[in-house]
Amino acid sequence: MVNPLLAWIAFFSPLAACVVITLFSLRSKTYSAFLAIAGILTSFVCSVLLFLQIFHVDPPIELQQSLTWIHIDSLTINFGVLVNPLAIMMLLIVTGVGSAIFIYSMGYMDEDQSSPRFFAYLSLFAFSMIGIVLSNNFIQLFIFWELVGLSSYLLIGFWYEKPSAADAGVKAFVVNRVADFGFLCGILLLWSISDVGNGRSFLFTDLAGVVTHLDPHLLTVVALLIFCGVIGKSAQVPLHVWLADAMEGPTPVSALIHAATMVAAGIYLLARTFFIFEPLSTALTVIAYIGGITALLAATLAVVENDIKRILAYSTLSQLGLMVMALGLSGPMQGMYHLTTHAFFKALLFLGAGSVIYALHHEQNIWNMQGLLKQMPITGVTFLIGTLTLSGIFPLSGFWSKDEILALASKHNSLLYWVATLTSGLTAFYMGRLFWVAFWGKAPTSGHSHQAHESPLVMTIPLIFLAVLSVTGGFLGIPHFLYPHAEHPAINISVALISSVVAILGLAVSYMIYGKRPTRDPLETKLGFLYPVLKNKYYFDVVYGWYVDHVQQSVAKIFFWIEEIVLVRFGVHGMTGLAKAAGQVLRRLQSGLVQFYALVFVLGVVYLFFIMVTKL
Amino acid sequence: MIGLGHYLLLSGILFSIGIVGVTTSRSVLKILLSLELLLAASNLSFVAFSRFNGDYTGQLIVFFVILVAAAEVAIGLAIVVLMYRHFSTIQADELKDLKW
Amino acid sequence: MSSFFFYLFATILILASLAVVLARNPLYNVLSLIIVIFSLSSLFILLEASFVGVILLLVYGGAVLVFFLFVVMCLNLNSQTFTTTQQSRFRLLGWFIGLMFLSEFSLAIKSFLETPTIQSASIRGTIEIIGKILFTDYLLPFELTSLLLLIAVFGIVSLAQGALKTDGEGT
Repeated sequence: MVNPLLAWIAFFSPLAACVVITLFSLRSKTYSAFLAIAGILTSFVCSVLLFLQIFHVDPPIELQQSLTWIHIDSLTINFGVLVNPLAIMMLLIVTGVGSAIFIYSMGYMDEDQSSPRFFAYLSLFAFSMIGIVLSNNFIQLFIFWELVGLSSYLLIGFWYEKPSAADAGVKAFVVNRVADFGFLCGILLLWSISDVGNGRSFLFTDLAGVVTHLDPHLLTVVALLIFCGVIGKSAQVPLHVWLADAMEGPTPVSALIHAATMVAAGIYLLARTFFIFEPLSTALTVIAYIGGITALLAATLAVVENDIKRILAYSTLSQLGLMVMALGLSGPMQGMYHLTTHAFFKALLFLGAGSVIYALHHEQNIWNMQGLLKQMPITGVTFLIGTLTLSGIFPLSGFWSKDEILALASKHNSLLYWVATLTSGLTAFYMGRLFWVAFWGKAPTSGHSHQAHESPLVMTIPLIFLAVLSVTGGFLGIPHFLYPHAEHPAINISVALISSVVAILGLAVSYMIYGKRPTRDPLETKLGFLYPVLKNKYYFDVVYGWYVDHVQQSVAKIFFWIEEIVLVRFGVHGMTGLAKAAGQVLRRLQSGLVQFYALVFVLGVVYLFFIMVTKL
Repeated sequence: MIGLGHYLLLSGILFSIGIVGVTTSRSVLKILLSLELLLAASNLSFVAFSRFNGDYTGQLIVFFVILVAAAEVAIGLAIVVLMYRHFSTIQADELKDLKW
Repeated sequence: MSSFFFYLFATILILASLAVVLARNPLYNVLSLIIVIFSLSSLFILLEASFVGVILLLVYGGAVLVFFLFVVMCLNLNSQTFTTTQQSRFRLLGWFIGLMFLSEFSLAIKSFLETPTIQSASIRGTIEIIGKILFTDYLLPFELTSLLLLIAVFGIVSLAQGALKTDGEGT
């Protein structure tokens, strides 16, 4: 039987860690690290126990436990947990990969003086993310959605003395804000049209039952508004601009938040509330196309990046696009499968990159790295495994999950299928590019790379752990666990063949260009006019910057004027002026003459008398 | 027949004259005198009520009012004298120190 | 018979009180007030309140107004002191208020004027009866007023002391 207490413990243990660190151990680096790791490991253990309790139980268990938080008339907001296989899968990913990254951070951040603050923020993030995973109603989900955004802001701008980091944090938060506005509108609209028998409800379970009775046009609007939130959180086009800059944060942050978990929250949301989207073909089409466009656009941008973390960031964007596309093609199972494997290998890649950065004393440009495979064998090999998994090479986990998505696309929409295939080819190409440039070949005789040596155990053990998961992930039977009653078609041979050929082609082409380790990127000249367009990220940032500078600032100026002139000058100063004038007039009553006072006195008496007499 | 109403009307007239005196006099002494008129008016109405209602309370109140009025006048006149010494005049207009 | 006396004393009363307010010479003001007291006292006796009537004469006529006369003579006030008008600047307003008050008052006592009332024959405010009530029902106020008079004496003495001191230092 499922014990819901485990869910609650998993929920609140990172929060406890965060609170204890903040109150008591902000001076001690080791204590903070141990507290944070203890918090997340507790959650992980609880998740594993929950998993064992629901493993192979048929029909699949869906357990809900909530208390009424706010109840005013017809408005009821609950606070509770909803445990089903989907939630437990996500919980395992968040806590498992999270634990690995927390342990890794202990090594990565050991030189940083403010690492206690880091662990406090990380624990806060873990709490918020688990909150999103376990929430059983939209409002609670939204609260934790925002909290996750806050944690992301805090962690991106962790080195706040660096202006670029602080700006990146603000950018992430503001872009997410824009998206969350749409999200909130969607939630409230859904609530207002829901009628679950005894009133309106935010609960997923209630809404799932009632969705079929609602007007499909309104529901499409709701679906698209909720998808706005996904566009922001999972960095789809056109709100993708914050993810690349989010690499300003420390690498463990990039691994945990911007690869494995937070950005995947949007996908998770779609899967969790898929009952809303299921019947709406227009909405789903929009979602699928946005996913496809994001996937392709991001892949093209990754080709010209030279910062190792930015390459991985665009790669994440691209894979997220694929997941969104899968959901748009009515494949929540495929989307979640890819999310799981992606969590494994993307975290692996980021941690590997972090290991490299750490060993090279915060050097991040791949053109300043060479022959790292020889210098740092464990990192190199695990990174290679990650690269191959991401490219979709048989029989690693990435192959299986990406293949499912490609098969789904080939069945429903051939345009998107070719977009996805092209994306996979580009993925293999730029990952190969990264590997050949930074890891392949002979170690240089001088410079940073010459002095690089393998990172400490506390960092390499998580790498190995994640590498093992990446290799075996395809054989764990994840789709069956998540959706045991959905159809699981046998593998589509032609799709599998085409994807493998495309992947190998990508790797081969990249070897051709970069295998000999040129000193400069030949693409700069080969791509001609395309190169600056790609370098400027299709000018998205330019357009947004122009908008903010001109349109938004003008609107802000108008409101400023309203406040300054109308409210302050007329309102506030006007009031004081009025009071002063009244005072000037009324002070004449203080004439100092006793007779005048007596007169007024008698006047009052006469007046009162008058009232009494006339009333009588 | 002289009824209660006659006495009350008389008392009212006296009171009004007293009010006029208090508010229109320039000299402080005259104000005090008018004050006495006010008190006399109310004394008259008290005694009239006492007579016509068969209750001695009115007369006793008058007794006490007379006493208190005496005390008040005494102090009031002392103040008038002091005022004359300070301001060399007893015009009420001159007491303007508490003006805004 | 008694109505004749009432009207007589009432007229004197009103004329004298007008004189208190309107006369120029401060001496006339005070003397007019004495006439007011006399007529008031007569009215009291008409109302069978002989005790308070006599007390009124004694206290007011014998003490208070004599005090007023002392002050008038002490400050050497006569009509020459007031070269300007004796009325304050609120003259019109004061008259108006007085008239207003009178009219309201008349309205208020309309009921008393319309229905005739009979004097109660049992009231005889002799010194014997009043004294008895004074020393039984109203003993506490009686004692307290004596305290009040004592405090008034204190007040005046301290005021005078202050005046004496400044006088002494001045010269």
